[in-house]
Amino acid sequence: MQFRNVPIQRKLMVLMLGTSMLVLGLTCTAFLAYDVYTFRQSSVRQLSTLGDVIAANSTAVLAFANADDATEVLGALKAERHIVAAALYDKRGRLFAHYPASLPDAALPATPQGDGYRFAEGYLVGFTPVVQVAGSQRLGTLYLKSDMEAMYARLRLYGSIAGLIAVVLSLLAYMLSRRLQRQISRPILALAETAKAVSNQRDYSVRASEQGDDELGLLTEAFNHMLEQIQQQNLALQQANDELEARVHDRTAELAAANNELEAFASSVSHDLRTPLRAINGLAEILLKSPPGELTAEAKRCITLIHRGSGEMDQLIDSIMAFSRINHEAPVRQEIDLEALSREVFRDLGGGKPDPRVKFRVQPLGKVRGDPTLLRQVLVNLLSNALKFTRRSNPAIIEVGLMDAAGANGPVYFVRDNGVGFGMEQADRLFVMFQRLYHAEEFEGTGVGLAMVRRIIERHGGEVWAESEPGAGATFFFTLPA
Amino acid sequence: MELLTVIISALLGWRFAPRRAAWLLGAGLLTGAAAQAPLPPPVAEYQVKAVFLFNFAQFVDWPEQAFKDDQAPIVIGVLGEDPFGSYLDEVVQSEKIGGRALVVRRYRRGEDVAGCHILFVSPSSAAQLERVLADLHGQSVLTVGDVDNFCRRGGMVRFIKEKGKIHLRINVEAAKAAGLTISSKLLRWATIITTGKD
Repeated sequence: MQFRNVPIQRKLMVLMLGTSMLVLGLTCTAFLAYDVYTFRQSSVRQLSTLGDVIAANSTAVLAFANADDATEVLGALKAERHIVAAALYDKRGRLFAHYPASLPDAALPATPQGDGYRFAEGYLVGFTPVVQVAGSQRLGTLYLKSDMEAMYARLRLYGSIAGLIAVVLSLLAYMLSRRLQRQISRPILALAETAKAVSNQRDYSVRASEQGDDELGLLTEAFNHMLEQIQQQNLALQQANDELEARVHDRTAELAAANNELEAFASSVSHDLRTPLRAINGLAEILLKSPPGELTAEAKRCITLIHRGSGEMDQLIDSIMAFSRINHEAPVRQEIDLEALSREVFRDLGGGKPDPRVKFRVQPLGKVRGDPTLLRQVLVNLLSNALKFTRRSNPAIIEVGLMDAAGANGPVYFVRDNGVGFGMEQADRLFVMFQRLYHAEEFEGTGVGLAMVRRIIERHGGEVWAESEPGAGATFFFTLPA
Repeated sequence: MELLTVIISALLGWRFAPRRAAWLLGAGLLTGAAAQAPLPPPVAEYQVKAVFLFNFAQFVDWPEQAFKDDQAPIVIGVLGEDPFGSYLDEVVQSEKIGGRALVVRRYRRGEDVAGCHILFVSPSSAAQLERVLADLHGQSVLTVGDVDNFCRRGGMVRFIKEKGKIHLRINVEAAKAAGLTISSKLLRWATIITTGKD
């Protein structure tokens, strides 16, 4: 695991422990180095003092050439277990006596060297001049050789003491750092916990508990401040949203009320318009059936126009009322054989007599679920449109089919003709009430049909659109979600 | 740190203890060991004695009035027939003890002896010893000899050959009476004799 991925608690512990161990290690090393240095110095001092004592005791034996007595003097060194060898040389530098007695002469320097003590090959060795009267010639030279066992033993002891201290101190440091690191890690962990809770539960009302006035305290405070701001903004947003929704609701209700009012008005107006219209139409018909010669030719033409006009108006009112009914009544849902329905509608439109000029093809369409009356109306409108606009085509080809690829909104059905068609730039106006692409003189119609188709398909949850080119026929598509 | 050193030293038992060492040294003297060396020829024996005569100068303190001044030499006298030849002169030549040079003087007869600090009475003059000692009474002269009963007869230091080695017998009382102080380091290795006993 990389160090930066280690939890902050352990990071802090490692930091504190590492630092204290480093300091301890350096301190111990420094002390050890100093101790070794002073110990070596004091070893030299002590050995040279011992040398002075032995040399002072050796003057007479050297002066009066008593080797046995000299051996005895040196024998006193056995009290000092670190002295591994000692020797006396006479004034001419010849070996005179040595210690221990068993030591072979070859193990000792053949002749004395410079006075003073020094470290050599793990031993402390040196020479002291033997002089009885200061200023007079030396009587001989004392040689001493001390092992460094004392220092090694001391180093071992020092090492074990240092090790013990290190163990105790690291335990102490561990316990201390465990407590101390909490001072820093606890607020951070609390903050992290709060942040996690906020992001997990989207609850901006929680607050991190404040710890102190240090940087962590500032951080906590800033974090809480941020949460408060978010909370306030959320609240404001929620309020605005609620307000907007309420407004939409109000407007929708108002709109619906207005629409209802309008439709009620339209319905009653249509109804009221019909009564006088029927009278006009019926009376015009009666007049037209009057015996010949009773009406002038001019009067008969006028009455014919009145009769036709009132008839068209009646049809228009019928259409409007039908359209309005669609809005009022929820469509029923039942299974319909669209293919059979198409054939039936086409047959009815032809008045039972098939026109040899018109070729009508229906692909297998399968079953759909919908309102039979309303879907029949769709087919009536689309097929009557197709018949109307193929009036000049010979042969007229009208096709009802199913696209291979289903749309997002269920299977796509189409009604295609090879009639006059229209320019796509006019496609927008196609399904709008009372919008007509052709003059009534060219192609009769109320301008309600396609608007009604769109309304019915939309009430079934589908879509309707058209594709065409002028003179190349038109295709009307619609979808019916299952 | 110093405390630690002391504690650790104490734990290790590693401390030079000069006092204890000195005590052990003293104890060691009581159990003398005797090694054998071949008998030196007569001349060689007197060579050793010559060096000893010179070394006495380092282990004996004379009173101040024994010297004319600070520069006055230490005089080693030889009474009677000289057994050292020129060797004694060679030994003391260019030596200095406490800033004093050493000179050798030879005396034929006892009455000639004057102004010396160490006097070797050769065996040839042993007969006149009592007279010489009487003449030297009141003077700080270390008398040395190698004849029998030298110390019993009032001489101060006698060379005596035992087991092929030359040992010393010292009459401390006689030396003290002459105002001489013989170093304890020398006395430690010598046999102490009192006048009248030998």
